Order: sequence, then structure tokens, then C-alpha cells
Amino acid sequence: MDEVGAKAEAIVERLGTGPVPAYPYYRQDYFDLEVAAVFRRTWLQVGHVCELPEPGTYMVRPLEFAKTTLLITRGPDGVIRAFHNVCTHRGTQLVFDEGGRKTSFTCLYHAWTFNHDGQLRSAPDFERFYTEKSKCGLPPVAVDVCAGLIFVNLDPRPKQGLRDFLGRYAEELETLPVARATNFSEYVYEVDANWKLTYDNFQENYHLRFIHPRSGGAAVGEGNQFGYPVAYNFNGPHRGQTIWVNTKAAPTPFQAFAFGKQAGFAVADGFAGGARNKEYYGIFPNFFLLGSATQPFSQCVMPVAADRTRCVIRLYWIGEDRCASQRVGREYAMALARDIHCEDRAVIEAGHRGLSSGAIEHIHFQSQEVLCRHLFNTIDAMVEDYKSGRAAAGGAT
Amino acid sequence: MNAQAAAGRLPPGFEALEPFVEHWALAGSANRAQARDTSTESDRVAFYRAGLTLAPAALDYLDRKPLSELDEQDRRLLSLTLSLCHAALAVETQGVDEPKHAKMRGHVRITRGSDKRDA
Repeated sequence: MDEVGAKAEAIVERLGTGPVPAYPYYRQDYFDLEVAAVFRRTWLQVGHVCELPEPGTYMVRPLEFAKTTLLITRGPDGVIRAFHNVCTHRGTQLVFDEGGRKTSFTCLYHAWTFNHDGQLRSAPDFERFYTEKSKCGLPPVAVDVCAGLIFVNLDPRPKQGLRDFLGRYAEELETLPVARATNFSEYVYEVDANWKLTYDNFQENYHLRFIHPRSGGAAVGEGNQFGYPVAYNFNGPHRGQTIWVNTKAAPTPFQAFAFGKQAGFAVADGFAGGARNKEYYGIFPNFFLLGSATQPFSQCVMPVAADRTRCVIRLYWIGEDRCASQRVGREYAMALARDIHCEDRAVIEAGHRGLSSGAIEHIHFQSQEVLCRHLFNTIDAMVEDYKSGRAAAGGAT
Repeated sequence: MNAQAAAGRLPPGFEALEPFVEHWALAGSANRAQARDTSTESDRVAFYRAGLTLAPAALDYLDRKPLSELDEQDRRLLSLTLSLCHAALAVETQGVDEPKHAKMRGHVRITRGSDKRDA
């Protein structure tokens, strides 16, 4: 066994080797528990500060698993705040568009109007109500920023702050291109599959040579036929890998040209040969990003339902396109990443169809699928804790 | 469009790309990706071959000006070079699998390009 294989084996000994139950990957009851135990009480990445560039800007984010949308604002004071996007009069959804700039937010039903800090500014004929404006602010949601990334936490009293939650990754993320990003390319797809099945696809390389035989050329070969990572690391609920690259794989002619342009700008931005260029950061529960300056790629894997997931992929860029060459380099980086993702989507759906038939009771993870096992172990421990807490409180499990 | 009517849509020196202006010279990443999806194999390959030869000269030429100062001819040349990213993936990478791959791409929507000035 090679050195990387030996390291993976050592980790697996800690995390277990047994088969993993299949039902958590498709059943509604387990999904409901995940929402309660994880997604309603964990920091979730929902955007980037470059989407709120100035005071008065805002964005709206759907969180279908919680049956809510969030209104995230940057107030005149420059502070970023998040609220449930719901009028406190009679609960009507407040903002319907996806974002932009407004001086205030007015409910279409009875014209209650709110400031960027959530306070009720005005309401017609308010003296006939039996309450005070100061008690009618928008319901706040915890929000914080690390490396330019905006995270929210639906727990009214989060158990830990964002930086504590991210642990040592917080400091590392701050050194990546994303922390200085001012804009991004984006593509989106929805997949008829459970979110864990979707996320797992992006944290194992075992599938690369089969699903990406053409687009994944530099990811496999030369004594590493499956393209397994150089190293794994674990950081509380989070996990990472150091990506292996086949340096002997010859790029195609236009690819070499476009990559060359990209590399030149990475040098100019001070990221060339950066220590974290090959790092993959898996931020629990449903976000990951690469440390690469030429493919500064992130993906949010958002559960919509037990069998439906929305993936938002972004390549975060520093500055507007400076010249034609930079625009071409960025276009190619985005188009290549999209080509690869298109190939993943169909097989993820096939996985969900197979599992949701109930035909198999267990799935198997090999040692180089250890990040998938770590995600399951982490989720399942939180679900079990939640069930124990409810049982102790006298609720049904 | 005949060659005479098409002439002059690109800066001097890039006449070989004139036949591809109509289909490929588009603003916006999503539109350029769609041009790949709706192209024929022979058109893609012809565009790729002509584009690959001229791409270094095209960017050398375009990089002499700030993006905001590109004129209409320059902008067409830039759009063509950007579309070449998509055509190159089809020709260099996907090859005979391109028709199968095109079906997969239909589910993955480009919602934002790298710069809002290109739309």
C-alpha cells in the first residue's frame, strides 16, 4: 500500500469501517430530523459580502428546508444583518425580488415599512393597534462573515460563534482569493437527490475516471489511477483534502492557452504557487471551496426537500475583468468547471433512484471515501443527540 | 450573409473569423454556452480551428485597450474569443461525446458571468 493509502487506512480505523445504513440518504423522517438537528442550528453559507457592496443593498435567500426566505441587508451604518423575510403585522412575505438596493422595505398588504436594521419605520393608522412599533421589528437571524462569506444560523441562540465553529479553517479561509473577492461567475443546477448523496459526490475521487473520462484528465493517471488526494484532514465537523494533480497530463491546446492567461493574473494577485492552492475545504454541513487561485471554485449544496437539492456554484474573482485576456481566462475556468459538473448531476440522480427504492439496506465506503463517512458520522451523531434531547425533555423520538 | 457584406465586422487581421460572427459573437456567458449547444459539429470544428490560430493575436490586440474603450469591432472579436472557450471544450475535450454532453448541460444554468459589463 502506498503512503497515501496507508494514511487513509489509519483515519478509517478511527471513523469506522462498517457498512452505513442507506435510509438516511433518502427517507423523509431522517431528513426531518436533519433539518431540526443540523440545518436549523448550524452556521450555513448563504452568500458573499460582494453582493452587498454598499449601504442600502440587500439580498433575499430561500431556505426551503425551513420553509422560509431570509432578507439580508447592509444598513446605512454599513452593518450586515439578516431577518426572516416576513412582515410582523400578519406574516406576509415582505420582499419578493432577489436583491438590489432600497431605502426601506414596504409590505404590499398594508404598507408596513421597515428599515435596513429591521425596525418598523411606519405603518398606516398604527394608533389603532394594541402594540408598539418598537415591538414590531423583523425577526432577526444570526449572521456573521468570514473570508467575505456570509453565514447565517437559524438557531435563535447559536451555541457557538462562526469563528469558533470554523475552528482553524477560519484563519486559512481569510488567506484565500474568496476573502478579497469583489464579483463572481455563477451557475446553478437542481438535482432530484438527497443533499448528502449530492455532497458526497464532491468529496471522493473514486468516481473521477469513470464519470469524467474526458474532462478529468489532469485528475488521474501516472501511478494514481483514481486520483486519490495527497492528504486528508479533519477539523471538528469540517473536513478537507489536499488535491493531487497529474503534472504530466498535457493540457489541450486552448486549455493551455487559457490556463496560461489565468496563471498570469494569479501571479499579479499574489496567489501563484500559494500554500493553499491545492486545498479543498469542506465546511460543515453543505458548503465547500477550493483554495485555488485559477479555479477559485465553491459550491453550496442546499437541501430543498429529502429528495431535492439545489447546487449553487461560484468562482469568486478579485476585481472586475481587467482586460480581454482576464475575461477569457475566467470564462474558460467557469465553462470547464460547468462541463465537469454536468457529468456529475445525472449519476447523483441515479444514486438517489436506486437508494430510494429501498432495495439495499446498507452502503459501503472504502478507505478513500473517508470524507463521506465523516459527514455521515457527524450528521448521525447530531441527529442522535437531538433525539436524546427530545426524549429527555419528554417529547416523542 | 455573403463575404462582402460580412467584411468589416472585425478589426483588420481577423477576417478569417468573419464567417463565425453571426453564430458566435454574443455578449453574456450563458448566450455563448448556448451557441455551443446549438452549433453543428462542422461549424464548431471550423470555428475552433480558425479561432485557435488567431486567439493569441486577438488577445494581444485587445489587451492594448481598457475593456471600456473597445469599439464595436473589438467587442465582436472579444465575444468570439470568449465563445472559443466553449467551442474548445466541445472539440478538444468532449470530442465524439459532445452530443451526449450537451443534453447534460441543459440542466446547469449559467446565472452570472465574471463581469456585469459583459451582458
